[in-house]
Amino acid sequence: MRLRIAYSKMEAAKFIAHLDLARVFERAMRRAQIPVAYSEGFNPHPKISFGSALAVGVEGQKEYVDIELRQEMDIREILGRLQEQLPSGIRLLEGSVVAPGSKALMAILNSAGYLIRVPMALPIGPERLREGVQAWLGRGHIPYARYSKRGPTEKDIRPWVKRLTAEIEGEEVVLELEVEVGNSGGVRPEEVLASLRELENLPFDLEAARIRRTGIYVQYRGQNYSPLDTPKGPGAKSEAR
Amino acid sequence: MCEQNAAEIRRKVDRFLTRVLKPGRYLGAEWNSIHKEWESTRVHMAFAFPDVYEVGMSHLGTRILYHLVNSFPDFLCERVFAPWVDMEARLRENEVPLYALESFRPLKTFDVLGFTLQYELSFTNVLNMLDLAGIPLRSGKRKAGDPWVIAGGPCAFNPEPLAPFIDFFLLGESEEQLPQVLDLMAEQKENPRPRADFLRRVAQVQGVYVPEFYQVSYREDGRVQGIEAEPGVPRVVEKAIVKDLDQAFFPTEPIVPYLEIVHDRMMLEVMRGCSRGCRFCQAGMIYRPVRERSPQTLLGQAEKLVRSTGYEEISLTSLSSGDYSCIRPVVGDILARYGGEWVGVSLPSLRIDSFDVELAAQVQKVRKSGLTFAPEAGTQRLRNVINKGVTEEDLMAAVGAAFRAGWSGIKLYFMIGLPTETQEDLDGMVALAAKVLDLGKRSGVRNMRLTVSVSSFVPKSHTPFQWEPQERQASLAQKQQYLKERLRDRRIKFNYHDVATSFLEAVFAKGDRRLADVLEHACRAGCRFDGWTEQFRYGLWQESFRELGLDPGFYANRTLDYDDVLPWDHLESGVSKKFLMQEHWKALREANTQDCRFAECTGCGVCPGRGVRIDLKG
Repeated sequence: MRLRIAYSKMEAAKFIAHLDLARVFERAMRRAQIPVAYSEGFNPHPKISFGSALAVGVEGQKEYVDIELRQEMDIREILGRLQEQLPSGIRLLEGSVVAPGSKALMAILNSAGYLIRVPMALPIGPERLREGVQAWLGRGHIPYARYSKRGPTEKDIRPWVKRLTAEIEGEEVVLELEVEVGNSGGVRPEEVLASLRELENLPFDLEAARIRRTGIYVQYRGQNYSPLDTPKGPGAKSEAR
Repeated sequence: MCEQNAAEIRRKVDRFLTRVLKPGRYLGAEWNSIHKEWESTRVHMAFAFPDVYEVGMSHLGTRILYHLVNSFPDFLCERVFAPWVDMEARLRENEVPLYALESFRPLKTFDVLGFTLQYELSFTNVLNMLDLAGIPLRSGKRKAGDPWVIAGGPCAFNPEPLAPFIDFFLLGESEEQLPQVLDLMAEQKENPRPRADFLRRVAQVQGVYVPEFYQVSYREDGRVQGIEAEPGVPRVVEKAIVKDLDQAFFPTEPIVPYLEIVHDRMMLEVMRGCSRGCRFCQAGMIYRPVRERSPQTLLGQAEKLVRSTGYEEISLTSLSSGDYSCIRPVVGDILARYGGEWVGVSLPSLRIDSFDVELAAQVQKVRKSGLTFAPEAGTQRLRNVINKGVTEEDLMAAVGAAFRAGWSGIKLYFMIGLPTETQEDLDGMVALAAKVLDLGKRSGVRNMRLTVSVSSFVPKSHTPFQWEPQERQASLAQKQQYLKERLRDRRIKFNYHDVATSFLEAVFAKGDRRLADVLEHACRAGCRFDGWTEQFRYGLWQESFRELGLDPGFYANRTLDYDDVLPWDHLESGVSKKFLMQEHWKALREANTQDCRFAECTGCGVCPGRGVRIDLKG
């Protein structure tokens, strides 16, 4: 049977790297004595797959994982037993059985929301902040330099940003950001922050930013759905295709 | 900067942790990690491994002692590893003292800081960690409130270069010795006596070596003249030995790291010690005698390990697990019990002469990475010199069996610069590699891959080759180039080690106390992680030796005399100096010595009078 589980990854668990997370789940499942299915072949690996990767240091309020089991089990028992074996920062929120043949999380998740708290290096007023954000959003094209092994490349990050708001809370700026995620690229929240600082001179203390992904969704006709209860749409069961 | 408390450190570290490599190295809340109450425990120990987390957490001894100390209600044990250079920069820049992973408390607030010395080239990391902790490097500079700084592990058998920095060393196996030491520390903490009084008391514990009680004098030519013990402490310190390994403590709820470590699997220690008697091998001398665990004990431990860790692989570890007398039934039973849960078995190394192809086929790890064999030398003559009792027929039989069973990747380990080595021995390696390739071709192996790994011989204390010099760097480098040219074949991958690194290892392996100043100078100049190629800064080392007027070649490249007082003559592994001399002499005559497990006693001296003996379970 194939399960889809929603979980949060907060506090110290935010430092568990995406590549290490599959091992954390695999070992927790074995401790919980829930039989995970393995791939065939020379080098079998557990059938555990995630949605879009969460960067190290970013908290995840509602993330998803698909796990295939070798036998049928009661979902509430699975969640209960697995929770006991997970590190304290990872909380299981809900889960359901996914029909065989459903698309993978990676293939259906296409939208994500972030909540960012960043201290101001210099105090500014709400008016100045709003203007900065509006000006940034008004740009048709926002180049951003990324560095890879092959040297710097410039990417336009503007198309990936769907919504951005900001307000002041004490000495911090709180931003809500909605972005598109996809196989062909994307934008990281810290890139948006760095770009706002650079292009609009917003005095963010980037090193001290705290970022949380509030959710990751299947967006269909402008509506955000959870991959757990997607209606007829790109994430729906095979017969709906 | 050491007045900071745990909460402050945690807050500061949290701010920059996303910006260092692998933050999981510095967090310490892993599965099965132990978080004890500070106030209700009498002695607080920080176990320090002077290398990165992934290396330290892969070390079985570290895991045993961490859980052992914590198994006592009175003692608390936390861990600390050498921060990688990026983290060190952040700690210094933010004025955060080095802290223990479990509680984030600064190291300076612990009662004792215990280092394990696995490798000579981690010595600068020991000093750097003390510095990062804000603890004075030299024992003489530390005050009553500072932690005791102690150290054990194989390099404690010649710890002289570290003598001024470490309050006392622990020689041998610590399962019984360390708790005794901690008991004395608890008493000392509650009822403080002068430092020297306490050290004199702790020096009575088996295997405890307090360097300040031993006065070393030198001849004009730099050799040691004498080592004088003060009254009231043992003239010669003998290692501690666990008599009954089967009953000894073993952690069955080990920590499961979140980030991938070097040996990321469960470890079962099937035996301790090796009596094959390879003459270059320090571990084969200092961990004698061979003691095995029974299959029942191991299977009981395996059950607990699988349940408590959820790991997908069990490694049967020891110096030579293929020699464990019950290896087949234990591997078979583990696979029968846990194979259905997708738990595999791995063996760290396989011997050529006892190579068991069916066993190899059962264990998972070797299949992925190819099979590794260590003939060590290219000719039978030189293999006799080092007492590596394997023949070319053994090797070809093992490789042939492996090819027939479907392996296509073979790795061969050799050493260059061994005593008496000639051109013929180098050509022997090349010929052996060619024969393996040829056998592969005749066996119809497709995509044949042969890795030839060549390391440079480093003479070690407490071995029959302790009197031997290391070959000069230029000459070793020439040999590497010669082999590189001769082994040019698209099927062969040739690996070799940096000669300057091996040279420095030899200097410290056979060093004396005068090297302490060099060590401190090099550390202050910025040397650390010397065993990591990208961090090794040989120029700074050369400068440090020059600055202090010491010739490193004196330690590494000099032939010692049987009459010389060795810097480690007051430290004893149980294997007698007389036996080592005999073995050295036999080496030069190309004569073999048998393994006492399968033949008669060789008279190495470890068993008599110590209440220990070879303990085989098969």
